Amino acid sequence: MGFESYHPMINFLYFAAAIICAIWFNHPVFAAIAWLCAFVFSVKRNGIRMLVGNICLLAAAFIYSGWYSYYHHFGVTKLRVNFIGNAITLEAVLYGLQRGITVITVVMIMSCVFSVVSSDKVVYLFGRISPKLSLFFSILLRSIPKIKVRAEKIRLARAGIGKDISRGNIWKRIVNLTAVFSILITWISEEWIENSASMKSRGYSLKGRTAFSIYRFDNRDRFVVLLLFFCYTTIIMAAALDQTHIYYSPEIIWNHMTFMSGFFYGAYALFLMLPVILELYGTWKHHKAAKEGVE
Amino acid sequence: MAHFEIKDLTFSYPAAGEKKALDQVNITIEHGQYVTVCGQSGSGKTTLLKQLKSVLAPHGKKSGEILFEGTRLEEVNLRTQSSKIGYVMQNPDSQIVTDKVWHELAFGLESLGMDQKTMRLRVAEMASYFGIQDWFHRNVTELSGGQKQLLNLASIMAMQPSVLILDEPTSQLDPIAAADFLNTIRKINRELRTTIIITEHRLEDIFYASDKVIVMEEGRVIADEEPGKIGAFLKKENRRMFAAMPSPVQIFYGVNGTGNCPLTVREGGAWLSRYFAGKTPEYTTVEDKITIDPDDVQKPAVLMKEVWFRYEKNGKDVLKGTTIQVPENTLFAIVGGNGTGKSTSLKIICNICKPYRGHVYIHGQRVDKIKGDRLFKQNVALLPQDPLSLFVKKTVREDLEEMCDRNLSEEKVREIAKLCEIEEILEQHPYDLSGGEQQRAALAKILLTEPKILLLDEPTKGLDNFFKIQFGKIMKRLKQQGATIIMVSHDVEFCAKYADLVSMFFDGGIITTNTANRFFAQNSFYTTAANRMSRHVFENAVTNEDVIQLCQKNQ
Repeated sequence: MGFESYHPMINFLYFAAAIICAIWFNHPVFAAIAWLCAFVFSVKRNGIRMLVGNICLLAAAFIYSGWYSYYHHFGVTKLRVNFIGNAITLEAVLYGLQRGITVITVVMIMSCVFSVVSSDKVVYLFGRISPKLSLFFSILLRSIPKIKVRAEKIRLARAGIGKDISRGNIWKRIVNLTAVFSILITWISEEWIENSASMKSRGYSLKGRTAFSIYRFDNRDRFVVLLLFFCYTTIIMAAALDQTHIYYSPEIIWNHMTFMSGFFYGAYALFLMLPVILELYGTWKHHKAAKEGVE
Repeated sequence: MAHFEIKDLTFSYPAAGEKKALDQVNITIEHGQYVTVCGQSGSGKTTLLKQLKSVLAPHGKKSGEILFEGTRLEEVNLRTQSSKIGYVMQNPDSQIVTDKVWHELAFGLESLGMDQKTMRLRVAEMASYFGIQDWFHRNVTELSGGQKQLLNLASIMAMQPSVLILDEPTSQLDPIAAADFLNTIRKINRELRTTIIITEHRLEDIFYASDKVIVMEEGRVIADEEPGKIGAFLKKENRRMFAAMPSPVQIFYGVNGTGNCPLTVREGGAWLSRYFAGKTPEYTTVEDKITIDPDDVQKPAVLMKEVWFRYEKNGKDVLKGTTIQVPENTLFAIVGGNGTGKSTSLKIICNICKPYRGHVYIHGQRVDKIKGDRLFKQNVALLPQDPLSLFVKKTVREDLEEMCDRNLSEEKVREIAKLCEIEEILEQHPYDLSGGEQQRAALAKILLTEPKILLLDEPTKGLDNFFKIQFGKIMKRLKQQGATIIMVSHDVEFCAKYADLVSMFFDGGIITTNTANRFFAQNSFYTTAANRMSRHVFENAVTNEDVIQLCQKNQ
């Protein structure tokens, strides 16, 4: 039902484009739309706790804007003069704010990325590029927790013979810590030998590796791809028509808003809100089906 | 055509000089056979198994030949060998390559370059056959040891091998997981007709099911027979391997039984009934080795008093008001299932984990009040489950010297090395030793702190019977020197033989403590094979020696 139930390719297409657009477009309306959509999406995904976080982020953006305008003095609209005699300008304030908003938008989108894109999906996407690459990524994901567990075991084993890393004077602690490290290195290399034996034994070195996928690309995914590409086209058109960028320096210059602008804004908002819409639609459908099932 | 045919195989490692790891080995293995290979550690079992798959075969001097389905093994290509010859290794953890269960299952199929549709079917089939579907999407780190080994097996079975080679696959598992695993192997053999070649220390679970048993000694095959005849052969030739035979076999030949040799507890019990047919045995009890009332211990060496412990603030309680009293100068064994808190209690005794309620006293002194180094100098030492975590240096000698003051190291190391019987391996790298040698070297290392109280966490895990006997002797010697030993173990047979007191740990506490004989005699599941097969005749015989002794007494 959630966005994570869609094919990894869809997740990738959405998030890659969302982040690129958020960074690329400096038009205040586009930035505002991106911020608002990211706000809604992140709260939808990560719950009400995200609300507080997002508000803090917004405050940070405003603070950044203040700090920025205090040190940068381009622009023609003077608001006031600070105590060392430099002008604080409207252009600098707005530009700072736009940059701050961009950063926090990306942060909010990233919070959605982490909740939607599991390591399995990354492994799948790498597998599309090269099966070997995805395998290495998977091995990495396996090794890191394994080494952590081992380090803890070694620490405990050493503690059991009175060579704890938190016991004795600084010198002793360093010596004991080094020992843990050294044991860990030996262990890793030994482990690697056995690990590679197991890989070889299952035909790792054969040519023509493929990548197994636990995902299926179904009609629902195809429909979403169509929608996404419709939005992409419209947004690229907007960019081509210079609707997505403005000048902040030396003064604010932007293309006039027309009927078409509204259309572009709509398409951008639709694109960014797509996961939320899909999730809400999915929940509603499930709810309805469950209710009908009962009746 | 035989499945595997080994002709005059001789092999020696490059560094070993003239010493042959395999010497004139001739074996024929037919399709669908279940073959057990047994022998002492270092007898060449693993070397032999590795020769059966080219990518795993170690470098060295080799003569003779191996035929796989009639073709010389070197001429069978890598692709065929990868899929047709499955190889399961000892350590469940180090065989797993990827981070997810589904990916591990598909690993071999990916290597073979199969298309998506075939892979999906094979993976689904394996997951269903092995009951993996419930944890199909899990991280492998979340699995238990038994599940990990089952996953290794399933991921190999997905490639549809015609022969499965298993090198001590259950040595790192607890007895319940091990029995499950071996049952699965039998099922594969029975239902899929996959040829099985397996080495094991725990012969109880596989001996009776084998079509033939191959016994190796110093690189040579000394017996290649059906299981019923192996015992007689080993007894007649007075070979050391006899000590590793299942309890029914040892007892049968221990009293010079007649008729067919029993291989299982069921057969053993029936044989014992026949042995006493028509007469009631006069003596039915053996004397307790020691007389201690476990509930009333004067001056305990270790006293744990209503200890509560949890690892995380909001986690579950691991210990729930645990009380343990360990009398001085005894071997105190704690048995019980996985994750019941046995190992945790050891950590609490040596103050690595700190309880949030209750206290631990060592010789009447509270452990958390013992300052600085005094707790670990001539006081307490913990032998961890995996001895490899202890070794730092290039040789065993250097490792031992790390533990003591520079000026008196040599004398002390020599003394301890003698006690632990590791004098011959002092110059070797700890990682090159066999499991049993590593365990003894680790023991030597912790003994150098001259502990009065020795804490052992599953010291016999993965060891063969000879090492266990040797280890048991060392334990006795240490006790003579006045040490108190607390041992956590799954090894019921070892506890029955060497422990003075045995405790059952369950659900964060000690359920009961008793002398070894009384403890195991009152259990009906959690007890030794000797006890299970003799309980209808004798009251408290728990070791093979007990049963043999009572049989002879009643003659």
